[in-house]
Amino acid sequence: QHKQVTGVSSQGCQGGCQTCSVYNGCLTCKPKLFIHLERDGMRQFGVCLASCPNGFYGTRSPDRNDCIKCGSECDSCFNRNFCLRCRAGSYLHKGKCTESCPDGLVPSDTMKECV
Amino acid sequence: PGAAVPGKQCPSACQCEEDGILLLVDCSEQGLSSVPTDLSPLTSYLDLSMNNISEIQPNAFHNLHFLSELRLSGNHLRHIPGPVLQGLYNLKVLMLQNNQLERLPSEDPWELPNLLSLRLDANLIMEVPARTLSGMRSLRHLWLDDNALTEIPVSALNDLSSLQAMTLALNRITHIPDYAFRNLSNLVVLHLHNNMIRTLEQNCFEGLHSLETLELNFNELQEFPVAIRTLAKLQELGFHNNNIKAIPEKAFVGNPLLQTIHFYENPIQFVGRSAFQFLPKLHTLSLNGATEIREFPDLKGTSSLQVLTLTRAGLTGLPFDLCHLLPKLRVLELSHNVIEELPSFYHCASLQEIGLQHNLIKQIEMNTFQQLSSLRSLDLSWNRINTIHPDAFSSLQSLIKLDLTGNRLSILPLTGLTSLTHLKLKGNMALSRSFREEDFPNIRVIEMPYAYQCCVFGACNSYKAAGQWEEQMGSEEEDLQKKALSLFPVHADNNYDLDLEEFQLAIEESKVQTSIQCTPIPGPFKPCDNLFDSWV
Repeated sequence: QHKQVTGVSSQGCQGGCQTCSVYNGCLTCKPKLFIHLERDGMRQFGVCLASCPNGFYGTRSPDRNDCIKCGSECDSCFNRNFCLRCRAGSYLHKGKCTESCPDGLVPSDTMKECV
Repeated sequence: PGAAVPGKQCPSACQCEEDGILLLVDCSEQGLSSVPTDLSPLTSYLDLSMNNISEIQPNAFHNLHFLSELRLSGNHLRHIPGPVLQGLYNLKVLMLQNNQLERLPSEDPWELPNLLSLRLDANLIMEVPARTLSGMRSLRHLWLDDNALTEIPVSALNDLSSLQAMTLALNRITHIPDYAFRNLSNLVVLHLHNNMIRTLEQNCFEGLHSLETLELNFNELQEFPVAIRTLAKLQELGFHNNNIKAIPEKAFVGNPLLQTIHFYENPIQFVGRSAFQFLPKLHTLSLNGATEIREFPDLKGTSSLQVLTLTRAGLTGLPFDLCHLLPKLRVLELSHNVIEELPSFYHCASLQEIGLQHNLIKQIEMNTFQQLSSLRSLDLSWNRINTIHPDAFSSLQSLIKLDLTGNRLSILPLTGLTSLTHLKLKGNMALSRSFREEDFPNIRVIEMPYAYQCCVFGACNSYKAAGQWEEQMGSEEEDLQKKALSLFPVHADNNYDLDLEEFQLAIEESKVQTSIQCTPIPGPFKPCDNLFDSWV
């Protein structure tokens, strides 16, 4: 197993990793996958995913794809300011999560949306 | 793996979980090369991502009428014929990103009338045929980024009046034609960054009545995108990293709700004086290197500005009513201009940082910085300041950093400078007086014109014998430990979640407070006595 001095290896890496280390998991990902840093106490552990977990959204750029945290009110989001699904207690309308709906719309608890 | 729930078979390679009468099935990362054939009809969520599926059998999903979310991302799919997704009337989320899709069905398009989110990002799609999306009239969120599109799929988008968010980033689009997004009246977010867009037709954004975020960063735009004038709801605009040389007069007259405009990394030389007028929600404006700017921009009606950066231009002066126009200013960065005189910043009560380095300022009046009780950092270095009014700093009780490097001072007024932690006076060769330690009770970093001026701050003690130095350090180390522990009491009973980073910072902080860093450091050729005075 080819391990460089820093413990970084491209052999024996999990799933979509390009390079990884025993202590911090994935350091870089295979093309087009998102790197997501999971917290394990004080340690950060990199994983490579095709889609970011709930509460995060993926940003793509020519040299790197990252999972970035959504705004606090979103359960899932398209970008930092546009939610796809809201947390309990708030309702989705055009990408915004609000506790009350605009005039003409009513909150639907099953769909967590203003309808 | 195996059957987790009686009466609802779970494919062998999958994990299943009950959700009321329905079933959540996770078969991700199992090395599967085809869709399991024994899926329960009560499956509402099916994750087949990160497998080796290159083809889907025609009837793979034909009885999954309750399916709401289908994940096929991270496989080797090249094509998905229309009939494969037949009958999925409840499908709301379809994830196909990270596959090898080159073309999308057009003659027999996917019939997904309730689909809300469609992910097609990170594939090899070169075009989107006109009828491909015609069966998805409820679609709200569309990802087509990181593909090989060379143009906006105008016809295909025509059917998507419910669309709210779309990304076409990281493609090879070079031009946006008129009415490209004509029917997308509900679109709120449009990402077009990292393409090769050189030209925008004048009416290309017509129809986007709800658009709030538009990203055009990392393209090849040669001209300012005047087409944005129709976007009355726009709040966030980005066109940084393009090739735009001028921002015209009244550039944002059609976008009164703009909060952020990112346009750095453009070779902007000219900016119309009225370009940034009437933007009452704009909080940050930064312009660097626009050398053709001679006059300060007219910021009438842009009264919420908090951060104004206008560097490396040709400004000769500032409007006397600057603070009436910008009462909420917090950071003012005007370095590298040719400013000679300063107005009074009296009404800019929120100012925390002022950067005026590298200008031609000669003097500081009494009222220049009066009442700036929140001012923390003032950089006046590399000007021509020869006089400062004795009370110029008197009301700056929050000032901790003052940089007067490279000026022509012979006297420094001390009133109001007691909270300083950083003071820089290097280069003021006529400033030869000696200061006292009590002039700057909180100082930590100080740069003086002459070495002897550092002696009063303990710099001469560095001659001490090495041994004595270590001994003293040892006992100091113990004091620090006790002090740091008092900051972070550890209670055995409630396993206090000690954040190691903060703990180390506290130690570093305590260490620094005990030593003042004064330069130039006295030495054999820079003695502690002011030889010049004793000779005279």
